[in-house]
Amino acid sequence: MDQRRRCCMRDLSKPQVMDRPRKSTQNSKAQEAGRKWVEQLEKQLEAATSQFDEALATLPVPHRRVERWKYTPVNGWWRAIGKRAQITAKQAGCEPCPIPGLDAYRLVFVNGEFDAEASDLPVYPGIVCSPLSLVPQTDQAPRGSNSLEQEDWFAALNGKFAKEGLFLRIGDGISLDRPLLVHHHSTGEGCAAFLRHDIEIGVNAEIKLIHWSTASQPSRGVVNISTKATVGSNGRFQLDKVQDEEGHIQHMAFEEIQQAQDSRVDVYTMTIRGQWVRNDASFRLDGKGAHAELNGIYLPDNTEFVDNHTTVDHRAAHCTSSEHYKGILYGKSTGVFNGKVFVRPDAQQTNAYQQNANILVSDQATMNAKPELEIYADDVKCSHGCTIGQFDEEALFYAQSRGVGVDAAKAMLVHAFIDEILDGVAVHEVRLEVNHRLAEKHQWTEWSDHLE
Amino acid sequence: MLKIKELQASIGEAQILKGLNLTINPGEVHAIMGPNGSGKSTLASVLAGREDYEVNGGGVQFNGEDLLEMDATERARSGLFLAFQYPVEIPGVSNINFMRAAVNGKREHQGLEPIKGKEFLDMVKEKAKLVELDGRLRNRSVNEGFSGGEKKRNEIFQMAMLEPNLAILDETDSGLDIDALRIVSEGVNAMRSPERSFLVITHYQRLLEYIVPDFVHVLVDGRIVRSGGKELALELEEKGYDWIKEDAVA
Repeated sequence: MDQRRRCCMRDLSKPQVMDRPRKSTQNSKAQEAGRKWVEQLEKQLEAATSQFDEALATLPVPHRRVERWKYTPVNGWWRAIGKRAQITAKQAGCEPCPIPGLDAYRLVFVNGEFDAEASDLPVYPGIVCSPLSLVPQTDQAPRGSNSLEQEDWFAALNGKFAKEGLFLRIGDGISLDRPLLVHHHSTGEGCAAFLRHDIEIGVNAEIKLIHWSTASQPSRGVVNISTKATVGSNGRFQLDKVQDEEGHIQHMAFEEIQQAQDSRVDVYTMTIRGQWVRNDASFRLDGKGAHAELNGIYLPDNTEFVDNHTTVDHRAAHCTSSEHYKGILYGKSTGVFNGKVFVRPDAQQTNAYQQNANILVSDQATMNAKPELEIYADDVKCSHGCTIGQFDEEALFYAQSRGVGVDAAKAMLVHAFIDEILDGVAVHEVRLEVNHRLAEKHQWTEWSDHLE
Repeated sequence: MLKIKELQASIGEAQILKGLNLTINPGEVHAIMGPNGSGKSTLASVLAGREDYEVNGGGVQFNGEDLLEMDATERARSGLFLAFQYPVEIPGVSNINFMRAAVNGKREHQGLEPIKGKEFLDMVKEKAKLVELDGRLRNRSVNEGFSGGEKKRNEIFQMAMLEPNLAILDETDSGLDIDALRIVSEGVNAMRSPERSFLVITHYQRLLEYIVPDFVHVLVDGRIVRSGGKELALELEEKGYDWIKEDAVA
């Protein structure tokens, strides 16, 4: 009885669970591996000492006993890093714009370096858009202001090593006339690419951004991309993020998005190919009435690994968030979904929705899914659901009994499953290309929803 | 058209069909009646190619070909149709797209080009009239949120679209109110022709007042124990199945 009363009379002015530092459990072996690897990077990338050196030495290098890394193996990261090959998209045989028919501005990066020739930057009143390396440090968002950088070893790594990326400022009331594509391509052996996207979207401003990552076959290396975006009042930010990397790339992506009052952000994370992919998307709803929409699909095959960690932090009243991740896992692939939702004491009238649905196509595929809700306000609506199942055999037989071939029937059911997500993708051409590449990867008959 | 010889089939440990013989000629309507658990739905499933069942004896010829060698898709494409007892819901796939995939599957089999959009839509309109299936149901996800009667009407609509040689109706009348039963039956009757045969599986004689069969068979314990004309159905309605079961044992 006593216990319960104490619990109810919790002092809300004290820091809550969510604000306490994450338990730092270092593992000496992981720590050593991480340290050696950083040394190697420092040498190969000729990095100077930085404010992150201490963080990198003291933050736990992720290992299996750290909660957020329980299902995410990191050993693949400690492979040898080589000198960065200076190569252009053209030399790498990489199409600057991977999306046919897309009319967009673009920034192209190859192995973490900006390729000016392949790029087409917007020159538009009220908009500053440039590669990060050309922007004075004082104009950039200060390193370390990204909260993940203080907590996560890999994010701190980005803080130290990333020199290049997208620098984007959209002035109040401005909206760019075309989408902006940021294309990163990896090629060669032992390449380590760090990109840092620094984005500010003003009051009533609007942008559609596409992040597209590719890698040539064969290639081997690591990619670490950190995106920080702040969205002003009533601003709108749409991000379509596509990961389609052949070869053997360890890909880690952080998004930290802060939303002011009445802003709306939509992030679609679509993982087509990737040997090892970890997405860490974090949303902070700071102003009243903000809405975050975060959706994703992943369809790994063979031994591919895809991990989506999300955090939605409701800090103000009347905010809404909707999260929908869907996965189809083939072969011996592994998926991870971890969806964290905080509702702070002041965030009354929050409406937060989270759904994660998975289909395991093979007996050897694995899915690890976990919703985590921490709710400290008492007048809120939060729901979550998680399913892991198989293809509906009845539906498959039904379709076959109507003369639909088994492959076409499977494609039909796959689309019935993922189209719910793809329907919301901001840029139509992106959706078509994702569809096309998925069909190519899984050798589906292309299933079209439209009568010609 | 269809020749079933000494067909035996099991699911798991249970032997359901124990030597079933049946021949259906073009244009004929056969009804199969029988008590619960006699193997009626198993017969429908085995003929349509459901893989849960194992055929462990006998054979089936369909238009001179070995039916059991084909998978469910091939059977459908060569002109066999099963109207499901419990039609399946497929959320996210519109009814009309589903039918287009089915029609094109059949056309591919016949070596034809995929159907043109306009031609297809005209066909949909025409066939939908047969079973009074309105536009709302055509555009919704397959069977999702359909009432029992709407699902069965949708089955007949699909049958009309695919124009099979042999249609098997598996307890299409179960759970239908009298209006839905009338609509479904009229749809079926409109499709009767000298080339097209029907195998109507039912528990109740009532359906056979609407779809008048040429032959009635009684299935008991995995075998056809009695065959006759349409008057056999009336006799069953009157006396139940027990007398036949006793006869069969004797």
